[in-house]
Amino acid sequence: MPRKAAITGIGVVSALGAGREPTLAALREGRTGIAPVRYLKTSHTEFLVGEVKLSDEEMTRALRIPESQATTRTSLMGMVAVREALAHARLQRKSGLRIALVSGTTVGGMDKSEQYYLDFLAGDTQNAYISTHSCGACTEMIADYFGIFSRVQTISTACSSAANAIMLGAMLVEEGRVDVAVAGGSECLTKFHLNGFNTLMILDRGQCKPFDARRAGLNLGEGAAYLVLEAEDALGGRGVEPLCRISGYANTCDAYHQTASSPNGDGAYLSMAKALEAAQLTPQDISYINAHGTGTENNDLSEGQAIQRLFCGGIPPVSSTKSFTGHATSAAGGVEAVISTLALQHSFIPANLNFAQPMPELSFTPAAGGDSPAPLRHVLSNSFGFGGNDTSLIFSKI
Amino acid sequence: MMSRTNDVYILAAKQISVQPPLSDEWMEAPLRYGEQPYVRAVDPDYKQHFAPNEARRLGKILKRALLTSRQAMTASGIAKPDAVVTATGLGCIDNTELFLDALVREGEALLKPSYFMQSTHNSVSSLIAIDARCHGYNSTYAHNGTSFECALEDTFMQLSRGQIQTALVGAHDEMTPGYFALLSRIGYLGHAPGGFSGEVALSMMLAAKPQERSLCRLRGVEMEYHPTGEALRQALRRLLQGAQCRMEEVDAVMVGLSGQPSNDDAYASICPELFPHKQLLRYKHLFGESYTAPGLGVYAAAVCLHRQRIPAHLFVDCESGEQRGVRHILFYNHFEEKNHSLILLSAC
Amino acid sequence: MEELILQLKQEIIKVLNLEDVKPETIADDAPLFGDGLGLDSIDALELIVLMEKTYGIKLEDPARGREIFKSIRVMAEYIHANRRK
Repeated sequence: MPRKAAITGIGVVSALGAGREPTLAALREGRTGIAPVRYLKTSHTEFLVGEVKLSDEEMTRALRIPESQATTRTSLMGMVAVREALAHARLQRKSGLRIALVSGTTVGGMDKSEQYYLDFLAGDTQNAYISTHSCGACTEMIADYFGIFSRVQTISTACSSAANAIMLGAMLVEEGRVDVAVAGGSECLTKFHLNGFNTLMILDRGQCKPFDARRAGLNLGEGAAYLVLEAEDALGGRGVEPLCRISGYANTCDAYHQTASSPNGDGAYLSMAKALEAAQLTPQDISYINAHGTGTENNDLSEGQAIQRLFCGGIPPVSSTKSFTGHATSAAGGVEAVISTLALQHSFIPANLNFAQPMPELSFTPAAGGDSPAPLRHVLSNSFGFGGNDTSLIFSKI
Repeated sequence: MMSRTNDVYILAAKQISVQPPLSDEWMEAPLRYGEQPYVRAVDPDYKQHFAPNEARRLGKILKRALLTSRQAMTASGIAKPDAVVTATGLGCIDNTELFLDALVREGEALLKPSYFMQSTHNSVSSLIAIDARCHGYNSTYAHNGTSFECALEDTFMQLSRGQIQTALVGAHDEMTPGYFALLSRIGYLGHAPGGFSGEVALSMMLAAKPQERSLCRLRGVEMEYHPTGEALRQALRRLLQGAQCRMEEVDAVMVGLSGQPSNDDAYASICPELFPHKQLLRYKHLFGESYTAPGLGVYAAAVCLHRQRIPAHLFVDCESGEQRGVRHILFYNHFEEKNHSLILLSAC
Repeated sequence: MEELILQLKQEIIKVLNLEDVKPETIADDAPLFGDGLGLDSIDALELIVLMEKTYGIKLEDPARGREIFKSIRVMAEYIHANRRK
C-alpha cells in the first residue's frame, strides 16, 4: 500500500467552543452554537450566526500576544486551534522535523480591512492593517507565532479551502516533502461576507435546517481547525499514537455555475466516488457521511441527489454538523474533519439538528445522532465551495 | 496504474501583462516604462475574442484569465485539462474593493451580488473550469509573492505521481489604483526609480508527456519559509539531485530583482553565495512587480529555453551579450525575505 | 407606461452591463431569461436590488422574481402598481 498520512493531533475553535473536549460535549448533548449576533458589528441582527464566543481581546490575552501587535481574527483563531493540535500531537518546539503549515482562508484579514477602510484611504493611521489583509499574511501570522514551520502556504477555494488544505497536507506527507503537515483552515465572520451571502439571498433567519423540506438557507459561522498529519510509517520514531488515517481524498469541479451547484450534483458525486477509489473502498464501507449540508435549497438537493446516486445500495447515516457550528466557510472543512475524527474515535454519529420534514426528492433522511451500534470504520466528509469546488475526505480507523 | 515520472513539460504559455499581449514580442522589442511607478496591463481588444455579452460580468482579471487559458488550451491542443490550478495574491481585488467601498460608505443594504460572487480568489479557477467544462482537480493558491510556486509545486507533484496527465496552471493578479496606493504606502510597491507595479495574467499548459512544440521541462520546485543559509543550500541540493543535474550545468539563474531596494538587497547578499559565478537574469524590469510576477519569470525562462536563446536585455550584467545554446535555467525568488523558492527548468 | 418601459430598459442595460444591447432591440414582451435576453439567476438578484434601489420595492422571496421578471412589460406593470419611489 502506498504511504498514507496519519492524524496525530487535532485542534479546533468554533461556535461550539475552543478545544476538542467542549466540541465533543456539545455534539454529544445536541447543543447548537448558533445564536443571535454578539461580536460582529453588523446591522443585520436578524440573522443567527455561529460565532466563536471569544473576543479578539480575549484571544490576544490568552495567547499572550502584545496588544500593540496588529493581528486579525482569522489569525488569532488559527493560533488557538494550531496550538491545541500541536500540543495534542506532542510536537515540541525543537523537534528537528520538517513541518509545513497549510492553511485555507478566503476573507483573510477582511475584518480589519472593513473596520479601517476609511482610515486607509484618509491617511497613515492604520497602515499595519494594510499588510494583514491578504490570505497569505493571515497564515504567516499563525506560522510566526509558533516559529516551527519550514514551509507555509495558503489555499483559497472559498468554502472548501480547509478541506483542500488537508488534501495538500496529506499529499506533502505521502510524498515525503515534509515530515509533518499541520493542515486546516481559519476564517472569521465579517460584515463583508455576511452581506455578500445576504445579496445571494441564501441566509436563514432562524436556525438552519439541513436536508429538511422547510430549509431556508444557511447560518454563517466562523472558526479554525487543524490536523497534524505525519507518515504512518514514521510514527514509531516519535512514540505517538495515531488517531486515524486519511485513507482517501479527491477534489473535483462541478463546472456548472459560479455560486450554485448543478441540480444532480455531478461534482459532488465525482468527488465522493474518486475519494472512495483513492482509498480503495466501496460505498458500503462508509460508516457515516459528514455532509456539506449548508441548509440552502440548492446545496442540500444537489448533495442529497449525489449521495443517493452513489450509495444506491444502502445509504449510511448522513448528518450536517453545520446545524451546530453554522457554516464556517473556509474553515468548515477543518472543523468537520475534526468532528469526523472525534466521531471515529468515540464511535458516535453527530446529529443533524432541526430536522422535521423529509425532502420529497430524497430517499433518505438525516441521522438523529447518538452512539453507533457498531464501531465506525470509515467516515466521509464533504466540503463544497463557490465555483463548484467539491472536496471529499475519507478518515479511517487504523 | 499510476506511474512515476520526475520530468514534466510546459507545453504552451500565453500572457497578458504590461508587455504586448498574447505574444512573445518582449524577446525582441520589449516595451519600456521609464519612471512610471504604476503600469496596467496592455489589454487586447476583447470584442475580437469574446461573443457579444459573453464577458459582460467579468472584471479585468477574469477576462484576461479566460482568454489566456483558452489560448493556452488551443496552442497545446488540450481542450479539457485534468486539472486547473491557479495562483493569485489578491484575487479579484477590483470587485472586492467595489463591494467593500459600497459596504463601508453606503451601509449594509442594496449591495451588488455580482461584485460579491466574483470577489473570491477562486472565481478565476472556477470560471476557467466552467468555460472548458473541466470536472477535474481545481485549486487556488493565495500566498502573497509565492502563490505561483505553490501552484506549480502542487501540479508538479500530481503530474509526477501520475495522478493527472495534464494541467492548466495560471498566475493572475490585477492591480487597482486604490490598492496600488495602499501597497505603495507600506513599501511593497512604487518607490524606487526603475521599479514599477505591473499586472499578470499567465496561463500555461503542463503535461506528463512532451509534445513536439513543448517549451521546456519542469524538473522540480522547492520552497522554504524563513530558512537558514544551510536550509536554503539543502533545498537547492534536493532540487538538483531530484533532477540529476549538476550546478555546473546550469546556464543562468533567473531572479526577482525589481528595482526596489527592500526587495533587491537580499538577492545581492544571497545570490553570490548560493550561485557563485553564475550569470543572473531578471524579468521584473520588463514585467513589473506583482504577487504572481514569478509566473512571468518562469514563462520568460521557458521561452528562452524553447528558442535556445537568452536575449541580452534579460542579463543583470549589462555587459553580457545574447547567449545561445541554453540548457538549464534555475529560478530563484524570495518574498519579503521570508518565503524562498527554487525552480529548475531544462530544455527539451 | 411607455416611458417607464424605456427607462427600465436603460437601467437594465446599465446594471447588468449589457454593453452590446440597445434599448430598442429589447422587445417589450420577449422573455428576459433563457431564450430572450439570456439573463441568469445572478441577473435576477441584481434586478431585485434594482427594484428596491430605484422603485422602493422590496422582494423577500427570490422565487417571486421569476414571475415578475418574465418580460420588460410584466416588470414595468408590477413596478407601476407597487412602486414607492
